[in-house]
Amino acid sequence: MRVRVKYFASFRDMTGKTEETLDVPEGVTVEGFREHVKGLYEKIARRDQVLVAVNGVFMPLRTVVREGDDVAFFPPVSGG
Amino acid sequence: MIRVQREDVDMDAVLEAVKSMKSGCVVSFFGTVRDTSEGRSVQRMSIEVYEEMAVKQLSMIRDEALERFGVHEVAVVHRYGDLEVGNNIVYIGVSAGHREEAFQACRYVIDELKERVPLWKKEYTADGEVWVEGDRRE
Repeated sequence: MRVRVKYFASFRDMTGKTEETLDVPEGVTVEGFREHVKGLYEKIARRDQVLVAVNGVFMPLRTVVREGDDVAFFPPVSGG
Repeated sequence: MIRVQREDVDMDAVLEAVKSMKSGCVVSFFGTVRDTSEGRSVQRMSIEVYEEMAVKQLSMIRDEALERFGVHEVAVVHRYGDLEVGNNIVYIGVSAGHREEAFQACRYVIDELKERVPLWKKEYTADGEVWVEGDRRE
């Protein structure tokens, strides 16, 4: 299935993209999706902290991602 | 009131939104751009936001503060885009019957914001540009 992915802050710099559509297997979990992205981008793979949000919410790593979900990858936040 | 915006904070408007007749106080927190960071001199800053998620997260934090501390109203305005040293970054206002719960709730909101709300600072220093990243664990 195809899922839209967004990248923010230093991850946008590392991928050179603000967003893209990725082909991932049906039933993939948040954790599996993160491994997939780490496999595509070595610089992200080297990071200790790779945060993932699904539809604007932090979901448990075992959560299954569905077609049409909005998945975002980013480093630890630094607002305030 | 939850806002993520480029413009500066309109203090009068936010105070009016937070105050109520039943409240005995408003506790306010302002975050501003500092001129140094980890020993480096900061010339200016830009802030990136994942806006849709930031608004969702801030609304959740506001609801948690209202519920947990029994305060009357919580307002958060966070800026993004290009900022100069001394500019406002974030305003948090909390109204409550008494100061104790207002201070506690205000502290809770800024602490949670720094952990959970998708905003990122980039500092422009004499040595170049640096993304600031927090230390949130999964």
